[in-house]
Amino acid sequence: MLSVKGLRANVGENEILKGLDLEVGPGEVHAIMGPNGSGKSTLAHVLSGREGYEVTAGSVTFEGQDLLALEPEERAQRGLFLAFQYPVELPGVNNTYFLKAALNSVRKSRGEDELDAVSFLRLIKEKLKILHLDDSLLKRSVNAGFSGGEKKRNEIFQMALLEPKLAILDETDSGLDIDALRVVADGVNALRSPERSMIVVTHYQRLLDYIEPDHVHVLAKGRIIRSGGKELALELEEKGYGWVVEEERAA
Amino acid sequence: MNGTAPASFETWLTARPDDRTGAGLDWLEARRRSALDQVREHGVPSAKQEAWRYTSLKRLLEQGFAQVDDTVTALRLDDIEELLIPELDSHRVVMVNGRYTPSLSALGDLPHGVRVTGLRALLANDPDALRERINGVAGERQPLFAALNTAGLDDGLVVLLDRGAVLERPIELIHLSVGMDEPRVAQPRHLVAIEAGAQATLVERYVSLGASLYCTNSVLELSLGRDAVLKHDRIQEESPNAFHITGLYLSQEENSRYQGTNIGLGGAWARTDLFTRFQGEHAECDLLGLYLAGDRQLMDYHIDVHHAVPSCTSRETFKGILYGKGRAVFDGRVVVAKNAQKTDAAMSNKNLMLSENAEIDTKPQLEINADDVKCSHGTTVGQIQPEMLFYLRSRGLSAPIARRMLCMGFAGEVIDALHADALRERVSEQVGQRLESAPLT
Repeated sequence: MLSVKGLRANVGENEILKGLDLEVGPGEVHAIMGPNGSGKSTLAHVLSGREGYEVTAGSVTFEGQDLLALEPEERAQRGLFLAFQYPVELPGVNNTYFLKAALNSVRKSRGEDELDAVSFLRLIKEKLKILHLDDSLLKRSVNAGFSGGEKKRNEIFQMALLEPKLAILDETDSGLDIDALRVVADGVNALRSPERSMIVVTHYQRLLDYIEPDHVHVLAKGRIIRSGGKELALELEEKGYGWVVEEERAA
Repeated sequence: MNGTAPASFETWLTARPDDRTGAGLDWLEARRRSALDQVREHGVPSAKQEAWRYTSLKRLLEQGFAQVDDTVTALRLDDIEELLIPELDSHRVVMVNGRYTPSLSALGDLPHGVRVTGLRALLANDPDALRERINGVAGERQPLFAALNTAGLDDGLVVLLDRGAVLERPIELIHLSVGMDEPRVAQPRHLVAIEAGAQATLVERYVSLGASLYCTNSVLELSLGRDAVLKHDRIQEESPNAFHITGLYLSQEENSRYQGTNIGLGGAWARTDLFTRFQGEHAECDLLGLYLAGDRQLMDYHIDVHHAVPSCTSRETFKGILYGKGRAVFDGRVVVAKNAQKTDAAMSNKNLMLSENAEIDTKPQLEINADDVKCSHGTTVGQIQPEMLFYLRSRGLSAPIARRMLCMGFAGEVIDALHADALRERVSEQVGQRLESAPLT
């Protein structure tokens, strides 16, 4: 589904990703862990097409297509979704209007009909329930004045609505208390399916107690230095990042 | 018009003295003469005058406009069908080139105590009803364009609500401009008096057929009695080649409430002056504005709110979207008199610049002479934030759609203040269409 090979990317003069390889198959959940500054968020941003990053080498193919050649909206239309670490507030932009436009844009590119108002509302109410969100949220502006937890739930709610093939969750656990974390994780788990892959970017092992990954990768200094199963996350939790980084240096 | 520009705006006043509206009324003739003297005194204001510091009158003067003095009778209702908003369910007054046109109007049944008529007709039938009204709010000393309007006084909308009268449906004024062979100026004078405890909604729309070149120089005098309520939606959709001037004079008695929403979309050159004078305590005035200044368009706003008495509240909330080589001016002034304690005033002007070639001159000012007041002002000039754009694009929306959505979000606060869904929809659609073709450089 997703194949990243030798990816190198700069922010300004600084090289952040230094030859990153990653293979994600259909239905797989990959956790990417690493210390601050290791390049986790850069990877999420480069994959979703955010401006300000320069890819200097390597390739990314998504379902056989050159992902890096696509505009951010084309990536979304083809089934890529980024749950933001810091969801952006859009004052004045009505949530319902935004969701409907986004959903119809994605549906259109999948060759599906646009949803009429009634079917849209029905769908939206069903998805809101999964995330324990109140439908008053629909009348508000996108993320404006939302609490930290509401913003993160709103991200997963959008994911539930857009039904991506590959979801990238960028530090979705940051800033959440344990109850909110559980709701978000339940939402994510409800969306797991053999066709849907996920990349869960996180600093802490905590989230992985709730969203169980198939593979865990350790990212340090712009490269994946170690990969393993879910037990790797537990080991990291116990020994800290210093352990793998040291080991890598010794090798 | 080619050749050298005229030396003054006096050429606008071509009406023949012997048969113009209300020619036999001495008091009216005296006011016209006084206004003409003032026009001569004003001459052509230069950029040295504060009110014209950012806006050149050269383009306007060069057109050599002459006042429209003929009635357009050939228009039928189907000619203007696309300009109508049936869902508004209004008492409709249509004026064509500054003249009240009964054949296109549909006043319907008006409740007791409500009078809606043309100024010209009322001057002919019941001139005494207007003696205290004309210049009643604007005063005898007037700025250039108001003086021109008074000197050339011809027709307009008159709305009079007696004490306690309540109008359920809105009064809608459609001011339609139709291009003539020569460049013409229409100078409608609208008089609205809402007496004590009366309530009304007024919708004012400036529209045109085609892209013709003309000028509208309108003056409104609005007076709100004690406890009166007026909701006023103003939508300027003049032709892209038109010049538009509005002078709005508002006077508010004790405990009255006024909300005016000014939408400026059309015209090549548009100037709006809003004056508010509080006459009684605990009155509220809420002025909102949204302007789009597109390529080679000028939108110029001057707000002057005078808190002459204590305990009144005013809000001035103006938002602009500028693109291409668009230009806008916001010159807002709130004056709080020495005795006007407990004044609550907040003025804000926010501008969204979609192009580097657009230009805004914004100057909100507070002049506070009392010590127990709550006053604030703020201004912002910014671009669409890249992270907002990226957020929307990451959800599958194209950059132009995302940009429009953010602009509509920005404008929403003002559009939402319009009193009816049908108006909000029409304005949203118009704003959307203009942004769709907006050049981003």
